[in-house]
Amino acid sequence: MKHPMRNPWIYTLFTVPTLLLYGMFFLWPMLSSAYYAFTDWNGLENYRYVGWSNFAAAFGDPDFRRAIVNNLIFIGFSIFVQIPLIVLFALLIASVRRLRGFYKTTVFVPSIVSTSVIGILWGFIYEPEVGPLNRLLALFGAGPVYWLAEPKWALPAVLIANAWQWMGFYIVLVLAAILAIPRELHEAAVVDGANGWQRALNITVPLIMPLISVVVMLSIAGGMRVVDIVLVMTKGGPVGATEVMASYMVNEAMGINPNYGFGTAIALIIFAFALLLTSLYQLTFGRRTEGGYF
Amino acid sequence: MRKRLGIAVLILLVALSASLAACGSGNKETANAVTGDAGGASPSASASSGTGSEAGGTDETKAEPFTVSLRHIQIGEAQKFRKAILDDVVRKTEEEIPGLKFELDGVEDQVNRFTKLPAEMAAGNPPKIFDLFGGAGDALKYAKAGRLLDVTPIIEELGIADKFLNLSQFTLDGRVYGLPIGGSTEGFFYNIPMFEKYGIKVPTTLEELEAAAETLKQNGITPFAMGSKGAWVPLMMVNTLIGRYAGPEAIDGFPAGTHAWNSPEVTAAFAKYEEWVKKGYFTKGELGLEYADMLNQFVTGKAGMMFDGSWRASVFKDPSQAGELTGQVGFFPMPPVPGGKGDQTFVNGNYSNGYGFSADLNERELTAVKAFIKNMYNEEMQLRGLLEDGVLPSMKLSGDALGKVEDPLVKQIMETMRQAGGAFSHFDSTVHSEVYKESEAQIQKLIAGRATAAEVTEALQKIQETANANP
Amino acid sequence: MLLKRVVPHAVLLAYVAAVLFPFVFVLFSSLKGSNVEIAADPFGIPKTWHPENYLEAWVKAKIGVYFFNSVYLSFTSALTAALLSAATAFAIIRMRYPRIGRWIYQTVLIGMFIPGNVLFIAQYLLVMNLGVLNTHWALFLPYTAGALPLGVLLLAAFMKSLPGELEEAAIMDGLSSAGLFAKIVLPLTLPALVTVFIVNFLGAWNEYLLANFFISKDALRTLPTGMVGFRDAFRTNYALICTGIVYSVAPVLLLYAFLQKQIIEGMTVGSVKG
Repeated sequence: MKHPMRNPWIYTLFTVPTLLLYGMFFLWPMLSSAYYAFTDWNGLENYRYVGWSNFAAAFGDPDFRRAIVNNLIFIGFSIFVQIPLIVLFALLIASVRRLRGFYKTTVFVPSIVSTSVIGILWGFIYEPEVGPLNRLLALFGAGPVYWLAEPKWALPAVLIANAWQWMGFYIVLVLAAILAIPRELHEAAVVDGANGWQRALNITVPLIMPLISVVVMLSIAGGMRVVDIVLVMTKGGPVGATEVMASYMVNEAMGINPNYGFGTAIALIIFAFALLLTSLYQLTFGRRTEGGYF
Repeated sequence: MRKRLGIAVLILLVALSASLAACGSGNKETANAVTGDAGGASPSASASSGTGSEAGGTDETKAEPFTVSLRHIQIGEAQKFRKAILDDVVRKTEEEIPGLKFELDGVEDQVNRFTKLPAEMAAGNPPKIFDLFGGAGDALKYAKAGRLLDVTPIIEELGIADKFLNLSQFTLDGRVYGLPIGGSTEGFFYNIPMFEKYGIKVPTTLEELEAAAETLKQNGITPFAMGSKGAWVPLMMVNTLIGRYAGPEAIDGFPAGTHAWNSPEVTAAFAKYEEWVKKGYFTKGELGLEYADMLNQFVTGKAGMMFDGSWRASVFKDPSQAGELTGQVGFFPMPPVPGGKGDQTFVNGNYSNGYGFSADLNERELTAVKAFIKNMYNEEMQLRGLLEDGVLPSMKLSGDALGKVEDPLVKQIMETMRQAGGAFSHFDSTVHSEVYKESEAQIQKLIAGRATAAEVTEALQKIQETANANP
Repeated sequence: MLLKRVVPHAVLLAYVAAVLFPFVFVLFSSLKGSNVEIAADPFGIPKTWHPENYLEAWVKAKIGVYFFNSVYLSFTSALTAALLSAATAFAIIRMRYPRIGRWIYQTVLIGMFIPGNVLFIAQYLLVMNLGVLNTHWALFLPYTAGALPLGVLLLAAFMKSLPGELEEAAIMDGLSSAGLFAKIVLPLTLPALVTVFIVNFLGAWNEYLLANFFISKDALRTLPTGMVGFRDAFRTNYALICTGIVYSVAPVLLLYAFLQKQIIEGMTVGSVKG
């Protein structure tokens, strides 16, 4: 009698639907992207094989290069501005007795709301005449700033909206790690005369480094993934000031002159970039903090 | 415990929204969509999807129900008059054809033209009837790819083939693939009380126009309302300036290769626009403002003039939209420019927005389309469009029909067209999609001060030449 | 000394205020009468209350329709993903085909590395070719598929930690593997299942990119796309826009209020493991 756990019918039943769906919507698209990227298909006429010209065109387009830079700015902002703040806030929350649950719960809220709604929300906050931000500035006598209309303000504006959405998520993540540090370590340090800051810098932070490493990786992935908030707030404008690779791709492939071949080439470039940055990070800093947190 | 409660909340949410959606919207379309979506929308036309849920109606002829998808752009307040006319045509057609039910899908204009429809054309499953723009980048492109129904036999059968004022933008190789619903011209709307207040006369020369702008600016009013987040908006004025500086033939000349974007005349047109931008004649922060915001600027008196299409006229007779400015708006065309080429009395005239029909129709859908065309394109509806909505007719109307117009603004617009020596189109219906796309990118660069007029026209000419080389 | 106790709270409260002020602002603005009032006193409580804004928005924005579509899609795709993931996780962890199981696990793991929008165009073309563009299948399928890698990962990890004796006992009693799965394993993994379900529900609820481009029929739209469309149609009526935002956010906040532990756990653990 065959063991019930070696039942091929059930096994198939349990795995095939998943594999089918996954294959269709993950593996096949990756493969077909790799194929279409080398053609100039625009959906209407027969397409031709064009070799690397899509890629050449992409890198040759100053607007796309600008988009790459913007993605890097997003990532850089996440890592160098947000992460220190995240660690700071997580440390602060960990250091207080009361209201810890309250802080944790409230800062997490923005990350569960749809990015598109956040785009609408902040679009309103940045509204030059009616929005609260400019009203606040008016109190101090500062003129109305055209946040989303001026190339020099648009990107910072979107960066702040994006940070507002995601920082809470990371704070809670880091907080969990901080709270997992055994108390004895801190108590021993206190006995040795270390104050709060010293303990934080010399004990807590080094111990959560593996998680910070994960946060960095997530920030890189997140920075490459940005698209909803840009599309909803500025559509990549003004004049490409907030264009990121993914929004460039969407505008190219789904806009006035759909070019699916070109669009999929961009998709592959995004993927390659994500892999490149993540591997770069792993090879340089990641290795040092390797500790296998989970 | 909390978890159970949470799950209960979830289930409650589902149940609540199901009932709310069912009664709240009280819309048959929703019910159809909900029950019918499992059937899917198969692209092949032969499945005349019978999602109509009515039982045999009160007709003697109990015909099997079928739906015909109709995409329109009449959404939002400003389009309500047009929507009313469309609804009447829909109803009349449904009454005539047993079992017919139109499934209306309203999408924003630009989204339909530049996102939805191109994608659907590519997929091969556009709606059966849809709002369509004429010209090389739209109708003619789809016609070439065989996606559009050839309506020449239909209009000949209905006897309206020669009633249209201008079918050129929908005609490919002598066959007609779409029908314009109205005509439009683009020019300046102005705030009558404001002009009186500051002693400004309606400009008849460029100098007067610039003087008027200067006066308004001195008094803290923005001369020209503008919302350039949608790049097509500033391109309206640019197009007319090109018609002035480079002559009306330039508009058709670009794809024909007879006129170049980087010619001194066309560059002069862009340079004039650039000059006005630098002088601060346009709304501050325009790059963040949409088309609707531009109207708002004008209607609330923040700006004194607004360059827009004549289709906007109906807004100004509706107090709920125009507020204090109701009935206080006038119209004048772009004045002649010094040193301009060609007939300076020409105005912009477009007969490029109308309806197209999918080439993929079964017999019943074809009858529905024929009836739709019959009911939409006739003197009665054209006149209604003119009287109720201020939209210029695309078909010839009799003298006394035209005489019925009472709205002074529409009369002014019609007078402008009558006095003009002729009309030139908007280049968005003559040039290839790539060129148009580039023009959108370039005008925003110009406005942001990132490119000069010369750089803009150089870039445009480059793309034009590539497009001309591969038709 | 007191200062030391107060300072962290002061800083944190300031941050919490910064986090919450947009929500409060939107709530107040949604109840105000006109743009002028919003501009004049952005942070103030409305002088006159206008709850009719909510009714107006519900009708004009067809929120009922969008809301229903979102709930229905999110619920079904999250549920299906949870069940499929559980079945697959069970198969690869518990059933005795270890080599195939490992292979399946590795394959599914690859999915975790692909950033969301890379597959967008190819998925669009796929959906187009399948002929389901502009139907709810166009979203249901990618959402469910997208939820599978994480689901399988999480549930596999959870199931690994289940004691083996229960299974042995059940098999002794003559249960088949399917019966074992349904009667014993599934109930035991309920906490993890709920977490997977919630995370995917939220993910589908909030999804914008695919929802925007894969569906154009208004009656089938989901809330995020509907809200953006609403904003575009009523740009100048800020009170109304704020009402729309409240409608979109309130259900999520409600869910969060009851299930925050699962939500936080699910979202954070999921990202770290991936």
